[in-house]
Amino acid sequence: MGCSSSLPDRSSGRLVGTNSENGGAPDAKNIRVKLVLLGDSGVGKSCIVLRFVRGQFDPTSKVTVGASFLSQTIALQDSTTVKFEIWDTAGQERYAALAPLYYRGAAVAVVVYDITSPDSFAKAQYWVKELQKHGSPDIIMALVGNKADLHEKREVSVQDGIECAEKNGMFFIETSAKTADNINQLFEEIAKRLPRPTTS
Amino acid sequence: MEASSASSSSSSVTFYDFLDRMRNPASLDLVRSIKSFIVSFSFYAANPDNDAKKVQEFFTTMEDTIRDHPIWAGATDEEVDSAMEGLEKYVMTKLFYRTFASSPGDIKLDLEISEKIQLLQTFLKPEHLDIPSVLRNDASWLLAEKELQKISAFKAPREKLLCIINCCKVINNLLLNAAMSENHVLAGADDFLPVLIYVTIKANPPQLHSNLKFIQLYRRQAKLVSEAAFYFTNLVSAKTFIVDLNAKSLSIDEIEFEESMQAARETNKLIPEEFFTTQEVMTTSQGQIDPGASARVHHKETNAGGSNYPYMEAEAGDLTVRDVERLLSLYKDVVTKYTTLCKAVKSFPPTKTESSLPHLEGSSILSTKPEENTENTRE
Repeated sequence: MGCSSSLPDRSSGRLVGTNSENGGAPDAKNIRVKLVLLGDSGVGKSCIVLRFVRGQFDPTSKVTVGASFLSQTIALQDSTTVKFEIWDTAGQERYAALAPLYYRGAAVAVVVYDITSPDSFAKAQYWVKELQKHGSPDIIMALVGNKADLHEKREVSVQDGIECAEKNGMFFIETSAKTADNINQLFEEIAKRLPRPTTS
Repeated sequence: MEASSASSSSSSVTFYDFLDRMRNPASLDLVRSIKSFIVSFSFYAANPDNDAKKVQEFFTTMEDTIRDHPIWAGATDEEVDSAMEGLEKYVMTKLFYRTFASSPGDIKLDLEISEKIQLLQTFLKPEHLDIPSVLRNDASWLLAEKELQKISAFKAPREKLLCIINCCKVINNLLLNAAMSENHVLAGADDFLPVLIYVTIKANPPQLHSNLKFIQLYRRQAKLVSEAAFYFTNLVSAKTFIVDLNAKSLSIDEIEFEESMQAARETNKLIPEEFFTTQEVMTTSQGQIDPGASARVHHKETNAGGSNYPYMEAEAGDLTVRDVERLLSLYKDVVTKYTTLCKAVKSFPPTKTESSLPHLEGSSILSTKPEENTENTRE
């Protein structure tokens, strides 16, 4: 199997998120975030989240490892916890029309492509457009170039990724699920961008 | 109170606990609100959106009421939650015939989907959905199908949802096992959805559209979240895929697809439709969502009523609440006879075609489910 355990991580950012998604836990200290993964099949969507979920080892965190639904809770410094509920979507072309069923109500969308595949980058741009048209207006979007360890096979430049992300108000990161590079950073960055809970 | 009629479809421990507390004289006020809420429905015509809104609001109000009620004084969140599960089950069992598949549109859609699936069953193969061969495990698939087929055997939204979750967990285990033992890279939803679609087609779960709609509208909103919502969404997604399915959705030649559909249509025309399930089900599921949690399924002969149907001449205005029980038993009688007749006719089809799906035969009949191990190891 490609994805094995990574280094421990003491989660960072003291910023917290939202439970605006479908009737989330009404507890400002325990935030639930629905995160949807989009991207062509074979870009390593599942490997990224498996890395993330298995890499944390806060003994108090509850983990759900399914084949396509995963959840992981990270504790922030202000004793707030963020529970990421990660919804994977099928990347094959024939299921593209079904994606809105999944990203409805999502607080975060992570769009993944493979840096060795220009086709997957084109597909990622398609998803970004779809999300802008049909996703919730305040959805946080991340563009992720995966398989960054395969330098010699790179066909999508870092610059192209950055430009695409900037144009669409997303944040951009290149990861390697294989080496665990930037995996935790991806989720930390997302946690930082989550809106602060409304005072209640 | 007439708790017995509601409990006939369940033996869940939590549910009995709920009913017990309701029998306590101190809960008279709760019982009154619940009853008057249920009765209030008889004053208005059925309307799925309004009905659902009213039910969900009632659940929310009742949750607060229960939390503050002396009989639940000092109860933990968990206990309040299981009381709410009991309430959901009680209310939705009482309102089932009004709220389930209540519009002609729903019934029509159910039929269309079921008919389309019947056609697809005759020729669809795993390779048409590019399902990798390591995931083609008949034993696992059969188990997942059985879970899905139980969906109409329950009236409570929670229990219907549980059937979906159990089905998905079986598929989940299959995928995880393949990843471990076959060195098949875990591909997440890329593998999960095609298998779920294929299992759904093989299972042809009764009244698929209405069951999904019912869960969506009447499962307590706070409970249709997270993992449960994910699996629910996947089945909605599978249903949508099947409804829109054409040759382009599959790895199949367009002409071959059309010909297979046409051939299936001609065969199916000769077999009468059967889309009711009348099995009454007893369940011991305790709310866990592990795939091993199997439900005890009992077939119950409904032998009420004779051969005469006294309400044939009655007008709606003549009926009183007292008639409900009699009407219901007559209704069950009619449905039982109808389904038995259908089965009898079905077992003598004029032509018999070879099914390409190995365990299609008999799979539409709910049977006693043995304790099966979901950790299927592949040879």
